[in-house]
Amino acid sequence: MSERSLTSQAGRTSPTPGWADPKPARVTFDEWQDLFERVPEELVEEYHYFPPNREAFSKYLFPPQTFAIYGMRHLRRLKYDNSLAALRMWGFVQNETERLFRARQLGRRVIATMGDLGAVPVIVNSFPDCIAFYPDCIWWTPFAMESRVLFDAAAELGIGDATCFSRAALGAFAKHSYFPDPDLVIASTGASCDDYSGVEQLVERFAPDMMWVEEPMRCDMGRMGPMGPMLVKEYERVVERMEKLTGHEITDDELRAGVRQANRVRKLVKRLRELAFREGAMASLEMMVVEFGNLHHYSDITEWPHVLEHLLATAESRAAADTPVVDKDALRVVWVTPPADPLLLTYVEDAGARVVGTEYVINQALEIIDEDKPPLEAIAESFMAASLIGTSKARAQSAIDQAREYRAEGVIISGIFGGSHCAMEGRLISDYVKAALDLPVLEFDVTSPSREIALQIGTRIDAFLEVLRSRR
Amino acid sequence: MELIPRATFRQIRQERVEEIASARKQGARVVGYFCIYSPVELVQAAGAIPVRLMRGGQAAEEAGEKYLRADACSFCNSCMGNFERDQLYQQVDAVLSVNTCDMMRRLPESIERHFGIPVYQLYMPRTSEPLPHRVAEFRRQLDGLAGELATLTGSAIGTERLESEIAAFNRLREMLRQASDTRRMNAPLLSGGTMLDLATTTWLLGPVKAVSLIEEVLRILAARPRRESRRPRLMLGGSILTEDDRWLLDMVEEKADIVTDILCTGTRWFAEDAPSDGAPLDRLARFYFSRPCMHRRPNSAMYEYAQKLAREFRVEGFVYKTLLYCDPWSFEVRRLQEALGLPVLHLDTDYSTENREQVRTRVEAFLETL
Repeated sequence: MSERSLTSQAGRTSPTPGWADPKPARVTFDEWQDLFERVPEELVEEYHYFPPNREAFSKYLFPPQTFAIYGMRHLRRLKYDNSLAALRMWGFVQNETERLFRARQLGRRVIATMGDLGAVPVIVNSFPDCIAFYPDCIWWTPFAMESRVLFDAAAELGIGDATCFSRAALGAFAKHSYFPDPDLVIASTGASCDDYSGVEQLVERFAPDMMWVEEPMRCDMGRMGPMGPMLVKEYERVVERMEKLTGHEITDDELRAGVRQANRVRKLVKRLRELAFREGAMASLEMMVVEFGNLHHYSDITEWPHVLEHLLATAESRAAADTPVVDKDALRVVWVTPPADPLLLTYVEDAGARVVGTEYVINQALEIIDEDKPPLEAIAESFMAASLIGTSKARAQSAIDQAREYRAEGVIISGIFGGSHCAMEGRLISDYVKAALDLPVLEFDVTSPSREIALQIGTRIDAFLEVLRSRR
Repeated sequence: MELIPRATFRQIRQERVEEIASARKQGARVVGYFCIYSPVELVQAAGAIPVRLMRGGQAAEEAGEKYLRADACSFCNSCMGNFERDQLYQQVDAVLSVNTCDMMRRLPESIERHFGIPVYQLYMPRTSEPLPHRVAEFRRQLDGLAGELATLTGSAIGTERLESEIAAFNRLREMLRQASDTRRMNAPLLSGGTMLDLATTTWLLGPVKAVSLIEEVLRILAARPRRESRRPRLMLGGSILTEDDRWLLDMVEEKADIVTDILCTGTRWFAEDAPSDGAPLDRLARFYFSRPCMHRRPNSAMYEYAQKLAREFRVEGFVYKTLLYCDPWSFEVRRLQEALGLPVLHLDTDYSTENREQVRTRVEAFLETL
């Protein structure tokens, strides 16, 4: 473990009492492990999921090794932010499966919100003792573990290799061991992709109770919008169904509280993005985990904001002290997905670049919801405003705007071979970006998650970064 | 001997393409449309000529790869290629597209960007349950489309004209049903290949001429002696099959009869008439919303449709042809096989011709098992 990264007193930035973060750095799995050993016991005892619960079972600041032992062996190949806040975030995120089963034991209702792109959980989480989770996010599992068990299970049910990694969610439903069987599956379709939609359809056989919700895409061409009123009606159906399930008639105030709760997360993430992109105060790997948290808050809407606040305090203090975790002078790239492979993000940062803008497939969940409007209308409006549910041009514009804002030097578009929309939009987005900006664009497909980065992709990234460097 | 030689259909189509080109020179506007959800009645009532864009083929697919990636579906790629090289596509003044699958959702954007052709994109809710607010949204979209079409042609859509077009297309559907239903008999005279040619030709001709053509085909059929030999009865399904896929149907029908299908270029377009009660746009909204397709959620109506046809047409095997990367159809193979309880031959290919002998081996092996 490097002396510099953990023991230097210079640049200590931790906002946590009883703990001083080492000088900001990205560290290896082993270094992370050493770092954990220095964490005082009181801090390990400090963090619990489902607050204000303080039961021993709900601690989540586990040694990083824990997850590798349980099969997440790809974690050994990543580089991590060395702050306590980041350690806490990883512990919290990796603990989600346990948390969901525990929720069931605690008598809470576990609601799967599939393909919804981040809006339905706002409604579900407004109900007492209900937890929205996002089975589609199981697609990250193969990026962390070597086993192909989920893909194989999906293949047995009819979805083979030439498609999106979201098929892992189907495998997870079939295995009944990655999350408890949900009390209700709310399957949204419309704006979400064919892969998600197809997975949802096949999941139906495993779902004791399932409702379909229309979440439309915005047709930018032909001036046919807006579709807000239809979406509001769909959300009213969700409310009705949840009321029937829980026996609880929800009030407008409860829904407003749910919106405020979601906005709290969204505002924290917005600020974190700003600090990461402008100041290099957070690395891209942690930021990707942070952004995806906007979808469903990793199944714990009460604790996730605390984790984010911890990260934000860390990032703010780094920015104030001008001690970034990634070199601010690194090559600046905007990343358009799906997906951003964690291994690739690590690779790109190791190669001397940093991510200063993202157009991930969750960006509709970044929109702040208007708290002055009727809640369902406001949720619908924020959903309909997102780039992802519009045309490829809208997605490209989002990347262009960020590239301008953060002075990006290049744009990376990573897709999935056989992914239903990647084939159509990758080239379009690339064309729009090139037409608007004098920037190099690298477009490639992320291969099935594996131990190593494919040599060809590595070579292409290296060559791309060389081009960016030569343009300085 | 073939009931209607393929060359005859080709000639009819070519003459029609020339007729369209000539009409266009006289000021007519041509609207190219995709899929069974496009309200052709509305296009025709606006005074435009609707032509379904449904050519495939290897050369077109290769030409299209200049614009789209190789893992875009072959139909989308060939569509792009055809805008570059096909005489019919080059007559198109505007494109009408309906959001169905991911590929078709984004194809219009590529067409507009690369060929500068205006696009009208309708949002068809992907959920299939006809809840009033969903149908109302589609109805609102039809309203918007009517306005766009009126701007294109300079002629507003009147109720009387629209009623007349609805009736005309219903008549066409009825006639296609009649032709298709002749295949209920034990040894049908109308092959699946000819039926596909007939359907695709009629969409190009427009309802009036198309009805005459079908009447002629029915007359020929009635005059033919019955066939004695009985062969395995098959249903066809999967991603879009076009006139360029006729080779596959011919290959299958060397030893079996294709007696029905669940194709968007087949029975699904003409299975039912647009309803006759209510205001015309309301009827069209209800009608098109209720068309089954595998991409709708849940897609149980599609399954019921397939099961009904399999039962009524006494189907013994199912040839299921998907295009590479066509998720809505390829994801369902296993489930469909379970639901139908029939032997299924699943072919997953693009438009390349190199694999035809391999396909032949698989087709022949499948037919032997029947």
